Amino acid sequence: MGLGRFMVRRLALSLLVLAGLSILIFLIARVVPGDPARLALGPRAPEWAVQSLREEMNLDKPLHVQYYLWLRGLLRGDLGKSLLTRRPVMDDIKEFLPATCEIVLFSALVMAVGGILLGVLSASYPNSWFDNVVRVVAYLGIVTPSFVWAVIFVLIFGYIWPILPVIGRLEMTVEAPPVFTGFLLLDSLIFGKYEAFWDGLRHLILPSVALALGGMAQAARITRSSLMENMGKDYALAQVAYGIPWRVTLGKYLLKPSLIPTVSVMALDIAALFANAFLVELVFNYPGISGYGIRAMLNKDVNAISGVIMVMGVIFTGVNIIVDLVVAYLDPRVRLVGGSQSG
Amino acid sequence: MADSAKWRERLGRAWYKFSRNRLSVVGLVLVVGIILLALLAPVVVPYPEHAGAFVDYANANLPPSRTYLFGTDVFGRDIFSRTIFAFRGALIMAIGVLVTVVPLGSFLGLVAGYFKGTRLEAFIMRITDVFLALPPLILALAICAMLRPTLFNSMMAVCVSWWPWYTRLVYGMARSVRSEFYVLAAEVAGASKAHILFREILPNCMAPIFTKMALDVGWVILVGAGLSFVGLGEQPPTPALGTMVSDGAKYLPHLWWNSVFPAIAIMVMVLSFNLLGDGIRDMLAREEA
Amino acid sequence: MRGGVIAKALAVAVLLAFMGGTLTGCRPPAAEPEPQAEIKPEDRILRVDSDWPTYIDPAVGNDFSDSIALVNLYDTLVFPNFDGSVRPHLATDWEVSPDGRKYTFYLRQGVKFHNGDELTAEDVEFSMKRLLTIGEGFAYLFESVTDVKAVDKYTVEFTLKEPFGPFVRALVRLYILNKDQVLAHIKPGPYGEMGDYGKEWLLTNDAGSGPYKVKEMKMEEYLLAEKFDDWWGGWDKDAPFYLKLIATPDPVTIRTLMARREHELTSEMLPEENLKALDEMEGIDTAGYFDGVNLNIMLHTRKPPTDCIHFRRALAYCLDYETVATKIWPDAVQARGPVPHNLPGHNPNVYQFKQDLEKAMEELKKSKYYGQLEKYPVTLSWCAEVPLEEKLALLFQANAAEIGIKVEVTKKPFGAMIADAQSPETTPNASIIFVAPHYAEAGSMLKSRYHSSTCGSWEQCEWLQNEEIDSMIEEALRTLDEKKRFELYYKIQEKIVELCPTIWVLDRFEKRAYQAGYVYWPAAEEVKAGKAILPIMGYGQYAHDFRVYPEKRMELLKTK
Repeated sequence: MGLGRFMVRRLALSLLVLAGLSILIFLIARVVPGDPARLALGPRAPEWAVQSLREEMNLDKPLHVQYYLWLRGLLRGDLGKSLLTRRPVMDDIKEFLPATCEIVLFSALVMAVGGILLGVLSASYPNSWFDNVVRVVAYLGIVTPSFVWAVIFVLIFGYIWPILPVIGRLEMTVEAPPVFTGFLLLDSLIFGKYEAFWDGLRHLILPSVALALGGMAQAARITRSSLMENMGKDYALAQVAYGIPWRVTLGKYLLKPSLIPTVSVMALDIAALFANAFLVELVFNYPGISGYGIRAMLNKDVNAISGVIMVMGVIFTGVNIIVDLVVAYLDPRVRLVGGSQSG
Repeated sequence: MADSAKWRERLGRAWYKFSRNRLSVVGLVLVVGIILLALLAPVVVPYPEHAGAFVDYANANLPPSRTYLFGTDVFGRDIFSRTIFAFRGALIMAIGVLVTVVPLGSFLGLVAGYFKGTRLEAFIMRITDVFLALPPLILALAICAMLRPTLFNSMMAVCVSWWPWYTRLVYGMARSVRSEFYVLAAEVAGASKAHILFREILPNCMAPIFTKMALDVGWVILVGAGLSFVGLGEQPPTPALGTMVSDGAKYLPHLWWNSVFPAIAIMVMVLSFNLLGDGIRDMLAREEA
Repeated sequence: MRGGVIAKALAVAVLLAFMGGTLTGCRPPAAEPEPQAEIKPEDRILRVDSDWPTYIDPAVGNDFSDSIALVNLYDTLVFPNFDGSVRPHLATDWEVSPDGRKYTFYLRQGVKFHNGDELTAEDVEFSMKRLLTIGEGFAYLFESVTDVKAVDKYTVEFTLKEPFGPFVRALVRLYILNKDQVLAHIKPGPYGEMGDYGKEWLLTNDAGSGPYKVKEMKMEEYLLAEKFDDWWGGWDKDAPFYLKLIATPDPVTIRTLMARREHELTSEMLPEENLKALDEMEGIDTAGYFDGVNLNIMLHTRKPPTDCIHFRRALAYCLDYETVATKIWPDAVQARGPVPHNLPGHNPNVYQFKQDLEKAMEELKKSKYYGQLEKYPVTLSWCAEVPLEEKLALLFQANAAEIGIKVEVTKKPFGAMIADAQSPETTPNASIIFVAPHYAEAGSMLKSRYHSSTCGSWEQCEWLQNEEIDSMIEEALRTLDEKKRFELYYKIQEKIVELCPTIWVLDRFEKRAYQAGYVYWPAAEEVKAGKAILPIMGYGQYAHDFRVYPEKRMELLKTK
């Protein structure tokens, strides 16, 4: 099976999954006890106003009709109105999502570069002090929830040694670029606001590193073990015996196959990034979709909850497709057999 | 007689493989210690009443000392006692989730793998895919937020997001084992479906299931801590580690002991279960080979 | 041979570290202004945190944070004094008809809206009608208003269904909108020819004439308001240029921001531990006042076991009030009855419960649930947004346990508590809730807390539904003569205390930390001068009367 057909199959499956997900999410969001319309307008609003909101939100219709209407809206990009912000959920998501993507992308970068670098270094010096330090640090990284890192970072860099900002996305004194893509860093480059770029970057560091540490440790460990395994294989030993420089062997022959498990696991870790961002953004008061989602969940904001989870599902599915592609590129066997187990 | 000698030998070999990595032994010791502490909490802890309806504002916010090993929180409760008691909730959470999820998920995976090529397989696996299309923490958060916040409900929420991983795992193995010679032989011999599923296929999937279980304990505890971090878990005054960290974090840095000790407790707990899990993996992986 | 890789990797690492270094170290953080820099207008800023969401639509907003925004963005006909009385504001004068059903207000001339339009009687008429039609926010205060009419350009007349004694005091909640501006931003909606009555636009914009105007409203993040230069009341040169209301971040962040002098005034919900730590910092003080808000444990009078009066009294006798008012909220005082002690119309002679376990046992024995307490646990909710309430919840739980009553504590987001309060089935036995008066008189509290019409709202989780009390409250509010009205208030309070539907825990001392080193906070100064003040919801943060001194801030930053 060629890469093209593999992709088509993968995409079709994903669409099916997303359809199923939409039902699941709809069901989760509709079991909310209480009357969302009354909740939105407050106890003193007259009954007719509440009734008209109920109609506007289709809460008066049977469940399957509600689902149909919700799905129809979803396909048109209309997720209904948030009860909390009283705006279309889509507008909220458009505002908050880029910020979260920025954090997640940045920490994915930190995770990938840091993890692979550390893994390669410790595999190159197995059982050295460096390797041991990495191993201990990796274990710590894996077992420490990102919200704990976030709290620790706020304590250290916000308070004991205040060198980095610990709140929000941009300082008040820095002029923000006009919103074009929603990605602050990109926008500030497009419009030449270098000060905003700089400041935005500084704001990204702590939350993304707090998020990345766990995955980075994981990636380092896996890269190391898979590299070690491949280094023991005949072809690698042969290359060394032929006197081919180590870095050529490593860069050209060993690294690619050794990265397959790393990349597969990283898919899960990127998913975990989105999930953990839910907690980390709260700590940093970062205006991302996760903080918005948590607030929506705590306040039973039906439309916002389903909107946010659906968007998460779409992103997650998309990330998985990309990872499958990368794995297929790295590992011809996947392309040929056409099955991938990364979840 | 010969049987028990054989068992002893196998056990001995397993222990050898397990204990070759000294970290696994450390993990085992720590896990046993944690479980014992949790079980015996009312006896070993200096102030068992502090885990319940208790306040003592006169002794609030005391730093760690000999009387209060980890200091006291803003309610005047001994943080050491509460941390030990919090192990209970975390363990119950992990055990409850795994006890529910492993049989359920494995069964579905087994069925789907055995009936490969049928609609049943497609049905089960597509549903599995749907549940896998969200990070577990997010799904659990969403479900939790809809329910009354209790330990039981957060357990349920985690279960809902966790079973597909076992279905996925067992499915993969059952699929390949299914065409093995001995399964076909049993089919020809007219063995019942139940016999084939549970007697022929399942035993071959046990090692990976146990390995995953051992490693999952730590992750479930982490997700549980994440849920209680946003307040969707065990309700006060019953202690929960995540809640203790997030509540304590409000008083950083001057009352650091409020959050630092529970955070360390989470780390130690997850670390020990991971070390143990690694050991079990080493043991089972080589046993199989 | 392997050294090459390592060297390369190390080089990359060094490079990364260097980049990190330049990111963190080599540049001075943009937030800290250089000491020599001259003072820019944006330095004269007042940053306040408050809970979110903030609805800045005058017909929608009604909670504490909304009020802070509204009083700064909009003008009202009258303005509350610190003692609870009112003084002329947009209205220079007013008259009441002898039957108390017609009020005539004479408006100040030449008042400008933020867009330059002149404020006239028509705008007042429009604002009242809009509020009543939409029916949210503070609309319920004016439900007795049947008609409002602009008699001429500067005269407006309100007609009431029946006399409403505190009408003028309640008018501090009628914010005047610019009619033309709102009409220009109408979108389709449920209000007939008025469409959505401008609701969507007013979510993030203002149509007011107040001392500040909206500069930027970032959902769930902040509201940045800018000084309105042409405000009719004039300006002091040191008044804040900007007012920024920030969604409450966690206390650690607030602490950090305060230490960096990037935050001026904290919210009123910080735990004592944090206030204490802030107070110890140089240039930061804490200050507060009794703000007419009281803290209640509302007992559900229609649900077992709290439907039994003896059971309720037993609970009221077992709470350790002294610990609450000395350890949890150190500056507060124990409440005496349903009306806070400094609210005009408070009855100082009603019975006050004290912790007395013997009496509690006595009452409990009279209760029909005695002997089967195990079967009837008391469910209790406290509000997740106010961490301090947990201390009261757990204290109450421990106290009740002493007489054998089991209390099940649940932490709930405020949204969930509002939802629970909607029906008697979902309302818990006990709810810990702060309640604020909407205008400075006992009647505000009595009506919103104990009149049957408010059952189903979070302000009455008691479900008292007592006809006698209803008619007493209605009669009092109809009474024009203040002295007579207050006497009726007294009687109502006695009657309510007898029924014991609530454990009145304390009258709140609204305490905040602020940058005393470079900010002048009028309310704090009044308190320092020994005056008893009562700034009702939002008016303690009336930014126009604050003063900010950026030069002193620079000094503080330099000495750090």
